[in-house]
Amino acid sequence: MGTELTRNFSIIAHIDHGKTTLSDRLLEVTRTVAEREQQDQLLDSMDLERERGITIKSHPVTMSYPSRDGKVYKLNLLDTPGHVDFSYEVSRSLAACEGALLLIDAAQGVEAQTLANVNLAHQQKLVVIPVINKVDLPAADIPRINHQLEDILQMPAEEAIQASGKMGIGIVDILEAVIERVPPPPEPADTLLRASVFDSVYDSYRGVVSYVRLFSGRIAKGTKITMMSTGKTYEVKEVGVFTPRMTKLGELVNGDVGYIIANMKSPSEVKIGDTITETAKPAPEPLPGFKEIQPMVFSGIYPVSTDDFESLKAAVGKLQINDAAFTFTAESSAALGFGFRCGFLGLLHMEIVQERLRREFNMDVISTYPGVVYELTLSNGQELHVDNPTLWPDPGTIEEIREPLVKAFIMVPNDYIGEVLQLVAEKRGWVDHTETLDGTRVMLTAMLPLNEILVDFNDKLKSSTRGYGSMDYEHAGTQPSSLVKMDILINGEPVDAFSTIVHREKAESRGRDLAKRLKEVIPRQLFQVPIQAAIGAKVIARESISALRKNVTAKCYGGDITRKRKLLEKQKEGKKKMKAIGRVNIPQEAFIEVLKSSTSD
Amino acid sequence: MSGTRTRVRHVYVHVPFCHRICPYCGFYKHQPGKTSYETFAGALTNELRFALRDCEVVPRTLYFGGGTPSILPGNVWRGLVEGMGREVDLSGLEEWNLEANPRTFDEAKAAVWVETGVTRVSLGVQAFDEGSLQVLGRDHGPEDVAEAVNALRRAGIREVNIDLMFSVPGQRLADWERSLHAALDLAPDHLSTYNLTYEEDTEFLQRYESGEWTADADRDAEFFLLADRLLGEAGWVHYEVSNFARPGHESVHNRAYWAGADYLGLGPSAVSTIGGARWRNLPDTVRWVGQIQGVGHARLDGESLSEIQLGMERMALLLRTSEGVPRSWVEEDLAENLIGEGLAEWRDASFVLTTGGMMVADEIAAYLC
Ligand SMILES: Nc1nc2c(ncn2[C@@H]2O[C@H](COP(=O)(O)OP(=O)(O)O)[C@@H](O)[C@H]2O)c(=O)[nH]1
Ligand code: SF4
Ligand SMILES: [Mg+2]
Repeated sequence: MGTELTRNFSIIAHIDHGKTTLSDRLLEVTRTVAEREQQDQLLDSMDLERERGITIKSHPVTMSYPSRDGKVYKLNLLDTPGHVDFSYEVSRSLAACEGALLLIDAAQGVEAQTLANVNLAHQQKLVVIPVINKVDLPAADIPRINHQLEDILQMPAEEAIQASGKMGIGIVDILEAVIERVPPPPEPADTLLRASVFDSVYDSYRGVVSYVRLFSGRIAKGTKITMMSTGKTYEVKEVGVFTPRMTKLGELVNGDVGYIIANMKSPSEVKIGDTITETAKPAPEPLPGFKEIQPMVFSGIYPVSTDDFESLKAAVGKLQINDAAFTFTAESSAALGFGFRCGFLGLLHMEIVQERLRREFNMDVISTYPGVVYELTLSNGQELHVDNPTLWPDPGTIEEIREPLVKAFIMVPNDYIGEVLQLVAEKRGWVDHTETLDGTRVMLTAMLPLNEILVDFNDKLKSSTRGYGSMDYEHAGTQPSSLVKMDILINGEPVDAFSTIVHREKAESRGRDLAKRLKEVIPRQLFQVPIQAAIGAKVIARESISALRKNVTAKCYGGDITRKRKLLEKQKEGKKKMKAIGRVNIPQEAFIEVLKSSTSD
Repeated sequence: MSGTRTRVRHVYVHVPFCHRICPYCGFYKHQPGKTSYETFAGALTNELRFALRDCEVVPRTLYFGGGTPSILPGNVWRGLVEGMGREVDLSGLEEWNLEANPRTFDEAKAAVWVETGVTRVSLGVQAFDEGSLQVLGRDHGPEDVAEAVNALRRAGIREVNIDLMFSVPGQRLADWERSLHAALDLAPDHLSTYNLTYEEDTEFLQRYESGEWTADADRDAEFFLLADRLLGEAGWVHYEVSNFARPGHESVHNRAYWAGADYLGLGPSAVSTIGGARWRNLPDTVRWVGQIQGVGHARLDGESLSEIQLGMERMALLLRTSEGVPRSWVEEDLAENLIGEGLAEWRDASFVLTTGGMMVADEIAAYLC
């Protein structure tokens, strides 16, 4: 059977440009979902996805469409995560397609993410069909979008389809364009099985479900398969497609998009981007593009109440089952007790994990200041990757430090260029080049250390451009940098939770800021408590909490004595929740307070 | 049978009547009229009699507090003492205290007190400056205090205490200094100096919580240190956080509390601690009377204190005193930390707080417990 009636495509768009709405409309028009069943935003199934309007997991769906040409086509739509944190997953999803619909909001125009997505699509050599969406909006400005298409994206404006997912305008045009312009899956050179895994989920009833695109061969229940990256073999238990629910089929063949369930025990046995082949007749080479996913951002996650460590352990374990990119290892902090060092693909991914821990597992957690992975060359020639400030080697032994960089695409109205240039400079970045877009906006391509955009870059960008600036980025290697480990010492002892790797020039202001905040939240003690920020033995900022001058009950007679004792008992109980640092006891809440404020703004 | 009963040497009697209710006061008190003084006195005697079922009471100290015990008319007082005297042997008393407010007694009434055995009167003065007196809602002035002290002395009261208060809103350090001098001028034997505390269910607490008044530990410390210095220079002993005495005139009754002695409390809201058991009386005069007459007692909130709890209390209370705690009660390294900071010192076999330490005695107790 040929593949000429199959089309595999995805939709790429800047957030809120209407991807989910349009997908739902496509399902409706193709009657993939009966109107009755249809609920808004069908493809965003995780609560968090719906709420935040972002897609975290892939949501493939197979539609059947009778075209104007009289033939019935099988259309596979792959909804992909839209965020750069998941760019590897996006690239795997895009690699499973031959074409992509590029949505552009008719009122907003091209945004930073639009460009990043188009770049990804071109890298995968996809046919891109521009769609000017939301043409029903009163503010729709089609001539302007046409200009942007030609000027910024170098696409002929006449290729664009005008549509409105919401009002159902242009939907059939879109489907017809997919059939006409997106090529069918290419005929393979042989019949050996090659299936690319672009996502996977763990279902407690069925086990590990791998989402696949077949590039050659066929796969059915009973097929013995090998995962090419690990060499492990399994037997297929079930294959099927998404309609959008999982629907069992006899087999999947070349060009198909669907799922397979094999006898895998653990979700970690399937890796995104891996190639599945047949054990008996294996393909000589895997499909290109596979790589092990590496976390880019690290942070410690601790239970607010030390009693909750076991529940947190269970929660992170469960989370990882459906989020293989999330890593964790147990660690303990003198200040925060037992917790986990966690690795994330990026900032959004980190936020999502924290949010899911709170929401789905009811965990009250606190995270330490996020950091990145630094590459170190030591004087003895050894290469080291450090993702945790507490593992930073003695500065005397370090030859060179390299920090990860990102290439950021920042779209900003002309009026705010000054502010953005200042922000980029403040964050140790530099602007590589500037493109004028359409007379009102420019696109700055800037290089920035990843470390600098971890905490508040996006918020600052929004606030300094009145919400008009938008940003997207891609990872762009590393650069040598003058970084130091800064410690915070309370009463002369370093408090691990506050150690951070910072640029030498930023150490002082960050140290001063942290010391000041700690001073505000740590209650006065019997003793004066010095707070210092230090690089090695050199103190760069200091504050001091003066000793408590007076705290004594005035009257202690008959009836007062019980009250006094109860107070003492309470204080004693409270002491258990405190961290002893030398001779002072500091309530854990004080640390939490400071961590909260320093990781959120 | 008497051999198995705990012998109690200290008795506290709560007399809840006050002519005027002070807006800062957290004691159980009310204006007279809910019950007659005679009925009240009769109930106290009955309560004492009932208590004798479980313990032997041979008082060394007796303390009438309030409220305003000095409010009771001379004849009621006489009757009360007679009634109590029939139940227990009052002849061994070393100290018999009575709290009094200026303008509630004259020399004749004080003479009745002396005649019945009272040895010590504690005057509720609080302040000598007009501003503080007004904020505190007191109905007496400096002359009334002088007159009261004179009446006590003429009647033959052996020991006079004056209660003073500092960190009153609006009070300046100079006001406090003047009050201390004015008190010393009256030649009392004992001075209690209390840092104003915002007590539950008081108008003062409301004004504090509304933000009208603020607390300031540094300011409190200034007042505290001033009293310590000034009275120290006058040769007084700062023998407990809030108490000063001319040498040899420390309150026996209060020291018994701090040393962890058992005590029996009579009257509404009074607390008793006997043999590890602690209870509080109903803080409601009318219901207290009713229950005494019905079942002989009006005890609430009974709890039995563990050795650990009693130990904590003793530690916390003794740390407040110039006597300190035995060396063996404190962990050496913690003690040394405090000593290094000038908050405490070793004195013979005891660990004693310095003036600086006294000011943070609550923190220190928590630190050492
Ligand atoms: N006026 C108009 N609004 C639309 C259209 N499509 C989507 N929207 C609205 O735009 C917002 C974002 O839509 P959504 O489909 O979630 O965008 P996504 O973030 O790209 O998935 C929602 O408020 C939609 O109701 C359209 O064609 N016209
Ligand atoms: S302070 Fe003394 S006089 Fe004033 S209400 Fe309280 S008990 Fe009565
Ligand atoms: Mg969406």
